Amino acid sequence: MAVSRLSRLAARARVPVFPALGMHGEPALHRLALTAGIELVDSPRHASLLLVAGGVPPDRHAALRRVHDQLPAPFATLWYRSEPLIELAGATRVDELDALPEALTTLHRELMQGQRGSSPRLLPDEPPNPWEGLGDDGHGGEGMMGGVPYGRPMVMNMTDDLRDGLTLDSLTVTLGPFLPMLPPGLSAEVTLQGDLVYAWTTQDAPYPTALGSVFFRALQEPVPIAELERARARHHLKRLHVALRLAGLERLALQALRLAFEPRVEQERVTKLRRRLGRSGFFRLTTTGQGRLEQGQARRVGGVAARAAGLEEDLRGRDAAYRRLGFTPILQDGGDTGARWRQTLAEIDQSLQLAHQAEREGAHTEVIGSVETPCGPWGEHRSEDASRLLDELLPGLEWDEALSTLASLDLAAVSEWPQETLQGSTEASGNGAESCEERRA
Amino acid sequence: MELLTLFFIVLIAAGLGLLVQWLPRRHQPMPPYSQRAPFLGGGLPETHAWSRYHVRYYPMTLLLIAFEMEMMFMYPWAVVFVEQGMKAVMEMGMFLAILSVGIVYGWREGVFKWQ
Amino acid sequence: MIVNELILPVILVTVVLVVGAYLVAVIDEAIAGALGLPRAANAWMAPLARGAWLLTQQANATEAPDWRAWRLAPALYLALAAIGLAVVPFSPTLIPTDLVTGVVLWGSIEALATVVIFLHGWSANTLLSLIGAYRYVALGLSYILISMFVLIGVALPAESLQFSQVVASQAELWNVIRQPLGLPLFLIVGLGVTFWGPLNLADSRDLAGGTASAISGPPRLVWNLARSAMLVAFSGAAASAFLGGWLGPWLPGPVWMLLKMLAVLAVLLLIGRLVPRVQPERCVTLMWVVLLPLSFVDLIWAGVEALW
Repeated sequence: MAVSRLSRLAARARVPVFPALGMHGEPALHRLALTAGIELVDSPRHASLLLVAGGVPPDRHAALRRVHDQLPAPFATLWYRSEPLIELAGATRVDELDALPEALTTLHRELMQGQRGSSPRLLPDEPPNPWEGLGDDGHGGEGMMGGVPYGRPMVMNMTDDLRDGLTLDSLTVTLGPFLPMLPPGLSAEVTLQGDLVYAWTTQDAPYPTALGSVFFRALQEPVPIAELERARARHHLKRLHVALRLAGLERLALQALRLAFEPRVEQERVTKLRRRLGRSGFFRLTTTGQGRLEQGQARRVGGVAARAAGLEEDLRGRDAAYRRLGFTPILQDGGDTGARWRQTLAEIDQSLQLAHQAEREGAHTEVIGSVETPCGPWGEHRSEDASRLLDELLPGLEWDEALSTLASLDLAAVSEWPQETLQGSTEASGNGAESCEERRA
Repeated sequence: MELLTLFFIVLIAAGLGLLVQWLPRRHQPMPPYSQRAPFLGGGLPETHAWSRYHVRYYPMTLLLIAFEMEMMFMYPWAVVFVEQGMKAVMEMGMFLAILSVGIVYGWREGVFKWQ
Repeated sequence: MIVNELILPVILVTVVLVVGAYLVAVIDEAIAGALGLPRAANAWMAPLARGAWLLTQQANATEAPDWRAWRLAPALYLALAAIGLAVVPFSPTLIPTDLVTGVVLWGSIEALATVVIFLHGWSANTLLSLIGAYRYVALGLSYILISMFVLIGVALPAESLQFSQVVASQAELWNVIRQPLGLPLFLIVGLGVTFWGPLNLADSRDLAGGTASAISGPPRLVWNLARSAMLVAFSGAAASAFLGGWLGPWLPGPVWMLLKMLAVLAVLLLIGRLVPRVQPERCVTLMWVVLLPLSFVDLIWAGVEALW
């Protein structure tokens, strides 16, 4: 009786969801961030539901299985526009964004009330290595060296430190591709000395970003500048959301996200957001002068990062229609994390202003065959994945600095499919991500 | 008597904390190894996390010791302060001034930076 | 005698801590709603439902944790919060334990909190919680001095290290006005000791929950409860050290005390929602180079003012 009352009460709790992102799963995250009664958590230990949003490429299935098994019982999985793993063929699948919050809430309630069993474990229940109980303390080796106490070896790699040259242990781990603080899909082998990144080797590149179809049309025909610029502002606001959430500014993060989903954003509201962000101390307390890109690196990343490093690279400057609207690229000279966010905010502002002006004058783009996307220039080539850059950029940074640097960079390649195709109508049977994946393969 | 009461408060608070952790899980089996692996977003560690961790703020901890010693004198000083009057202010002012110079020096030497 | 000196204090402390921790969750929910975050259907039910969920969730384990330390740390943190609240006077007569060295005890609670929080992160034997633990030590060693100087500042006019004397010394003028730097500095200490909001270096989002990233179920419930309880205990100390504790017209003393504690809680929770997390290295520099000298100024100010 007492137990059933407890579980009835538990069923009413805010639904704790751990999101594992597949390709183009972000819309699910955005929707859930704005939904009351659902909490997106950072660790699977804090969740009762595993949401797999978007198609997960087969080479990340092993990692997905590991994350799946790390949720404490009772838990369930929900697959949004994603094919469940073979072992979980019976799991709930939802393809409709609007049905997602309701499906999660129902799943949580059924789980708590015992109408649904916990998801089965997928991996065998055995320690990573058989523990050989040798040695004086049963640590499994000779002296202090070797052996696998409790299934894993102890750290024994002495490398000189990057900063003060002290020889202490360094830890090597694989991070991602489902670590919520990293860009979706990114995984890396990281060696840490204390909380300092000693070496970073990107293993899996982040999933490609899907841009609005207006950028694709702009390659072939003149498009209204207002539409193009609004889509650009939207893209940047969504990125801002991620970074602000990471910095612990939940409230401003949600404001940015709400602005990103408004059909016609008023400029004053962005100005207000900018002012609030400045006043909160974001630039003084959180972003430090770290993650500085050299000119060459900045050029490789392109877009906001390049202009934040003082490179005057903006294809819009070549378009006469833009010049008539009085467009000149905004530039910063720092090239670091703070500069990139100042640049992003300034560009959001500029885009909205251009959109406003272009709307009045009915201005259309005039250059065809190239377009400045929010991720960088798209002339002959789409902007390509630049995550290899992290291997040279992140070593030497402290953990917090490394992650805020990561959040300020838009390194993913641009997807060959526009957003609307991937996420739009359900007639596409919600299989956009997978079909895109197959094409890629 | 006060200390006895305090002791009981500690006992009950800590006991409550342990009881809430222990009661619901007394019948639960141990989680399987696949669940117990450390969470790294799907990645795996090569080794245990326990290690000779490189603490990067060690010069700051040394500076702290200098201050902590001083705090011991400060408690009795606080009680007799009003009795002693201006003399106490001057003495402590001098002490703090010297320590402040220490902080400024440390700052210049970068002891608050991650080494 | 046993009732008055043993049972009553224990019950008082336990009730205030548990109810207070619940109110922390409710106030935080209300603030979040007022700031435009998605609102829970019922702010009064939400913490209870969450607690129930944590009780039904399985307690997680890691591959090779230090079991004893891992389970003890949340309980000890809760015990520290209880000690902290025990020395706080609710009226001239209603004091759980009226220690003559209450101020010293508070200093030691803050020092021990660092140990306990470190232990919690370390004992899980996972990377992210380990980083959180070591990061917290940097914070803990930085705020502790500020706290001590500020608390000694309030002990000067009272000529005593007893919290009830500190409150009594504010009969003419509250310390919040008499020592204007004191309360703001002490509030920062409060955020540090509970690693809340901008000073949440231990359980932060960039570490997937830091020291709490590997725990689930009942241990997580105790850990969260202890954190909120510490916030309550801290608000008690702040209210008696700076806001005149039970002093106030019309209403009975304990009511004033509770109102002041709620006010301190509301301010702390609001700061927690409005300020971003401080980068660890910057945090240490800020504490030592800006806030610590400010606490010196506060102490000298308090000293000169006490002799006036």
